[in-house]
Amino acid sequence: MKKILLLALFFLPSLIMLAQNRTITGKVTNPDGKPVAFATVTVKGTSTAVSADVNGDFSIQAPPRSVLVFSAVSFQSTEVNIGNQTTISAVLNTREVLSEVVVTALGITRTQKSLGYSASTLKSEELLKARETNIINSLAGKAAGVRITSQSGTVGGSSKIIIRGVNSVNNTTVNGNGQPIFVIDGLPIDNSAQQINTVNSAVNQGTSGADFGNRAGDINPDDVESITVLKGASATALYGARAKDGAIIITTKKGKKGQTSVTFNVSARFDNALRLPSFQNEYAQGNQGTYNIASTNGWGPKISEVQDKTFPDFLGRQVTLQAFPDNVNDFYRTGKTNIYSASFEGGGEGTDYRFGYTNTTQTGIIPGEKLNKSAVSFNAGRNIMKGLDIRTNINYTRVFADGRPVESSNNPNVLQNLILNIPRTVNIQDVKDNYVDPVTGQQITLTPGRTGNNPYWVINNNKFSNTVDRIYGNAIVTYSPVKWLTISDNIGTDFYNEFRRGVTRPGTIGALTGNFFTANLYNRIINNDLIVTVSQKITKDLDLKVIAGHNVFEAQYRREQSDAQSLTVDQLYSFSNAGTVSTTNLSNKRRLVGVFGDIGLSYKDLLFVNATGRNDWSSTLPKGNNSYFYPSVSSSFVFSELLSNLSWLSFGKLRASWANVGSDAAPYALSFAYLPVPVSFAQYGFGSQFPFNGVIAFTAPGVLPNASLKPQNQTSYEFGTEMRFLKSRISLDVTYYSSETKDQIINLAVPQSTGFTSKTINAGSVLNKGIEVTLGVIPVKTKDFSWNIDANFSKNKQTVELPGEVKSYVLQSGWSGLQIKTRSGEPFAIWGTAWLRDPDGNIVIDANTGLRRTINDQKIGNIFPDWMMGINNTFNYKNFSLSFLIDIREGGFLYSNTSSTLRTQGLGEETAESRDKIIIDKGVIFDAATNKYLPNTVPVQSMQDFWGQFITTNTEGNVYNASYVKLREVRVAYRLPSAFLSSRLKFVKGLELGLEGRNLWIIKSHVPHIDPEVNFFGSASLGEGVEFNSVPSTRSYGINLRIKI
Amino acid sequence: MKKRLIYFAGVALLSLALPSCKKYLDINKSPNSAENPDPKLLFSNASTQYINLRSGGDMYIPMALAGQLIADGGNNPTGWGIPSAQEYTFSVFNYNNSWNTYYLSSGTNLKQAITISESATPKNNNAAAQSKVLLAQVVYDLTTVFGDVPFSEAWRPDISYPKFDAQKDVFLGIVALLNEALAQFDEASVLKISDYDLFYKGDIAKWKRLAKSLKLRVLMTMVDKDPTQAAAIGQLIAAGGLVNSAADNFKVAYQNVSGRKNPKFALSEQYNSGESFFFASKYVADFMRGLDDPRLPKFFAKPAAADNYYGIQPGEDGDDDHDSRISSLLQSADAPEVMFSYQEQLFFEAEIQARGIGVPVSLSNANTLYKKAVEESCKFYGVSAATAASFAAGLPDLSTVAAPVKLIHYHQWVDLMDRGGDAFIQWRRSGPDGDEVPLLTLPTGAPAGALFRRYEYPSTNELSVNPNAPATVKFNVKMWFDL
Repeated sequence: MKKILLLALFFLPSLIMLAQNRTITGKVTNPDGKPVAFATVTVKGTSTAVSADVNGDFSIQAPPRSVLVFSAVSFQSTEVNIGNQTTISAVLNTREVLSEVVVTALGITRTQKSLGYSASTLKSEELLKARETNIINSLAGKAAGVRITSQSGTVGGSSKIIIRGVNSVNNTTVNGNGQPIFVIDGLPIDNSAQQINTVNSAVNQGTSGADFGNRAGDINPDDVESITVLKGASATALYGARAKDGAIIITTKKGKKGQTSVTFNVSARFDNALRLPSFQNEYAQGNQGTYNIASTNGWGPKISEVQDKTFPDFLGRQVTLQAFPDNVNDFYRTGKTNIYSASFEGGGEGTDYRFGYTNTTQTGIIPGEKLNKSAVSFNAGRNIMKGLDIRTNINYTRVFADGRPVESSNNPNVLQNLILNIPRTVNIQDVKDNYVDPVTGQQITLTPGRTGNNPYWVINNNKFSNTVDRIYGNAIVTYSPVKWLTISDNIGTDFYNEFRRGVTRPGTIGALTGNFFTANLYNRIINNDLIVTVSQKITKDLDLKVIAGHNVFEAQYRREQSDAQSLTVDQLYSFSNAGTVSTTNLSNKRRLVGVFGDIGLSYKDLLFVNATGRNDWSSTLPKGNNSYFYPSVSSSFVFSELLSNLSWLSFGKLRASWANVGSDAAPYALSFAYLPVPVSFAQYGFGSQFPFNGVIAFTAPGVLPNASLKPQNQTSYEFGTEMRFLKSRISLDVTYYSSETKDQIINLAVPQSTGFTSKTINAGSVLNKGIEVTLGVIPVKTKDFSWNIDANFSKNKQTVELPGEVKSYVLQSGWSGLQIKTRSGEPFAIWGTAWLRDPDGNIVIDANTGLRRTINDQKIGNIFPDWMMGINNTFNYKNFSLSFLIDIREGGFLYSNTSSTLRTQGLGEETAESRDKIIIDKGVIFDAATNKYLPNTVPVQSMQDFWGQFITTNTEGNVYNASYVKLREVRVAYRLPSAFLSSRLKFVKGLELGLEGRNLWIIKSHVPHIDPEVNFFGSASLGEGVEFNSVPSTRSYGINLRIKI
Repeated sequence: MKKRLIYFAGVALLSLALPSCKKYLDINKSPNSAENPDPKLLFSNASTQYINLRSGGDMYIPMALAGQLIADGGNNPTGWGIPSAQEYTFSVFNYNNSWNTYYLSSGTNLKQAITISESATPKNNNAAAQSKVLLAQVVYDLTTVFGDVPFSEAWRPDISYPKFDAQKDVFLGIVALLNEALAQFDEASVLKISDYDLFYKGDIAKWKRLAKSLKLRVLMTMVDKDPTQAAAIGQLIAAGGLVNSAADNFKVAYQNVSGRKNPKFALSEQYNSGESFFFASKYVADFMRGLDDPRLPKFFAKPAAADNYYGIQPGEDGDDDHDSRISSLLQSADAPEVMFSYQEQLFFEAEIQARGIGVPVSLSNANTLYKKAVEESCKFYGVSAATAASFAAGLPDLSTVAAPVKLIHYHQWVDLMDRGGDAFIQWRRSGPDGDEVPLLTLPTGAPAGALFRRYEYPSTNELSVNPNAPATVKFNVKMWFDL
């Protein structure tokens, strides 16, 4: 019988072609008779498909006796044989949304209701409506417990994703940068943000110097069908250690059987700086009220008071002073992004294919900053013989970016510093038009003493660029000889070469003789998963599914880098043109072999239990200690099945899970070995390169290795519930989780008097506990109009436990004495120089100067937020939809160097106040005679001295509450009615027009001058909460047109 | 057919899973590092890291500013800028990086070089002794900068939390280390660090003389606090064999090649168009101007408009038409970093004779030695031999001055202008609090309180991670040897 049916289907298309088409019209409704908007109506076995309109009305061309397939999101598909009728009414039954399948670890698909842990899935429409070039950013505010921080406003810059808090205290890129594993169609891919040390910069070039992005940014959102965020260890147990910080499971688009279609998407987007500093516009440059051309600051005379005089400007002209309030603003331009994508997809019996191409060109808000990304993907599947299927998926991405601005410090190309320090009386157009002397070819600087670079010299000459060529893909063979058995093998590779180059032209202040570096970074991952699945019905109600698998994983990294100094021929960046070249190379390789199993039992649709186990053998651990096993159990209980009499309860489920995972160490962390030293440090970056006086050098390791490391261990559990009420008008998902990572493989700081900075040990634990709530409400739902509110809330509390004798643990050292560190029982916090306070908390003032006294190494504030919330409102009216997303962060602190610069330089708005007055700072003075603190009576000599206290080395003076409320996203979409299309534009299957904006408005923030959402440490580090000359983040808006034919 | 396929699949699965993955996983040997390097490679690293610390922005600049050897120029736009170390605003990096170099990049590598040399077959005694002498010098800097420091328990992987030794014990430990090295040197052996010896190219005789002179310097630093050391000083002088010519100067030259230039030079070359950020301190310039010192044009660059070499009160604004800056000829690209000089030896001997430390007082011997010292200093800084000799000869005779020892001290301090840390030691040992040479006052802009006396312990690298560490000691608190 079945064979005949298949045969019939197979022959159907050719029969249809012979038949005469006619117009079928009708209405799609739900069982209550309410229209189902935008249902898809397909003529079965053909590529003919239309959308019903918002009223459920449709019109389609179909031959007699054909079958129409009606489908819509949240409804069960239904088929209607039209016979000879021309009007058809179809009734779609509500599909329990929660019976949607979710792609979990190792590509195993499971029904949502069977999951014993929480997982958030985002569909491709979500990702494409408000487009982001870095796919990570599109997750912001959309999933509970997932926190996204972009590093900066750099085009193609990196973004960091933290799921349920930071679990690790080991700040190495290989093992513990806190980033989830990215898996595309079962293949784990690389998401590193490699940092490289260069001779000319004390700051790593990667994310904290020039931001070269993180490699997940190479993923093309147009090729993505869905993203599932697996948050806890139970969800990711089968990936083991690599996914201890969560997993981002990406499924790519595939061709659909019987529907050949072409989709074009065109987007144009515009970016501008979301927030620029607020400047004073009353005072010129100088010192203590006296004009000085040599000082690029705002401590000169009041402009209005010296209108009767003229002063020399940086071009040597005598001018009357005038403020240019927009001079910094005008430095930035509007960045533009164009994204063109086309995809062809389709399939026949036993075959499907999809080919996609996307080209993105982007320019940044900083002149000269640009990015070009091309992505080609091909995904095809074929049924070779009964039970044997093959599928392959290949992606090639090329990214070229140029003009990446340098951030942070200790590099002459740090741009923000140059822009912010432009005196208020300087016309930016003059700076732009006069950065190079037409006669001498020399740089024209803003001061006669040539103390700083002209920003236009830097952006026009000193370019930091990178090119990535990346291929990732896999081949999957699936064999299912009998119904209960499936064997599949998924082999894949991800490799790329990234070429980086940074040039500094001779004549640049701070590098007057010029320099450049190039680096080739090569990374390759090979992964093979062999999985055998057995599913059997044990009794009528009891199903058993057993999975057994084997995994081989290898990751290899290699880098060759050359740093050249002292260039002879101007602007020739050839190594032969350099006085000295220092070349270094590095490589590492790690391997992992694992076996795993998963046993799942389900009883009716009521109860689901899953147990997994995996054993890994790692190359990075000592031979005797390199095997580790980790189990997990999870279960789900759909209690609503037992309460079908409660009409208000549409669905209810309880879930619980427990998991224990282990993880390995970085490669080569075990043996005591001496490393070659390319450079000997001296402060301000002018140490000696080796060979020095003809000798080279080696050094003992800074980290005392440990030959007896054991795997670190994470135990986590979570409880949760999913409920829907009032015919799913209200949905609620609540999760409580707790995860403890013990025996952390950490480089524990030891006193340097031991001769080492740290030693590698198994010690300490990080405990993360939190709750996540997702609430969906549909307050209004009428025939034409609906209003959906989707909110998510997450709260995470981190506690770090340290071995008894360890007073504190430093995660990251920032600039100017700032550190991210923790004491036992506390979360990570910003530490640094603070105001000295008396026992009552008053600031202690120096009796000599009237200025505040300071004290080193004090705890200032936690870096992580207390809670995060995202609220999305969607309004649908007929074919229009409007949605906006509000993103809220509460708690945590941020250090801002921009604010320090603006204050110490007298350029920030706040520094204009009280300049003509003598001020006495609020505080106390220690009176030695009475041994008491008395109220301060000593005036500060000037506001210049007062604000001078907020120098970068003063941590507390520049730390702010990092809470914010932001309007993250606004989208307006319009879909052309299918009736219109089918009557006027028959060849078009769908046409959608969207307007979108991202990061539109900082509704509330406590940090002056900058967007509080920045992170100088970048995605390669666990540290955050520090801004250091970061490029301003951007506001973007754009238009998107999507045509499907 | 179906069964066979299942069978094959099963076999394939097992064959993939079962083969001893041991070999496949045995790849954890680093391709980036060496497990048994020649000790000279560690010695060269320790030497270079150490001289870079001394001449760079973590030691020379802050020490010379806080010690008032040079002036930051106040608000002069091409000056160093304020507040700086001159106003006692110290970057914690100065503390951290100094500590880091003493213990890690120099200290650890020297300790490792000693261990490797002594465990080799045959033992490389000279390499071990050369490393010990350099380590002694590193520790001398360490303790005079920080005071009480871990020494007896430092650099031992088995001790995670080294105790802090009292400064006196550290000094005695340095002397013991130098004695150990002196006993270990084997001039007959060809086993030694020679091409990688940036100081003496393997001349063991020079190393031995240096070791004795370094011992003398340690004892001279101790002797005011602990007069019992006078006898040892007397014995050293009597035994002789100390540094006895400019050829023995313990120094490393930088190269006039990019990336190998003296950090003092590179900083002004890359940031200030080759002009020094720093002005002459009036404490140096006034003294030299009074003597019409031929080293003035060697030390300073005079503005065209100025009639003579003028320094400024530290912390005051530098006037580009009047005040001299530090000369780029002094701090040239290939200027050496000096740890011990022949003139320094002579100044010590002059002081020993003038004060009668372990020897009978002899002002006439002292007079000869101090003039010789100044003459050597002039020659060292590029004054012609004839001018140097006549200048030295024309200096006031010690018997004619009211405070001959103070005069020797002043000359020795001026000679050390380009060696910030060493001058600061000299100043502190030149007299009890309030009677040092020169008599410094609080720099303009510095907070109320006592003068600069030391670096504070680095909080993050040591204090906060070592339960055996003492509490923070402020930068203006004196240490054991400093009266």
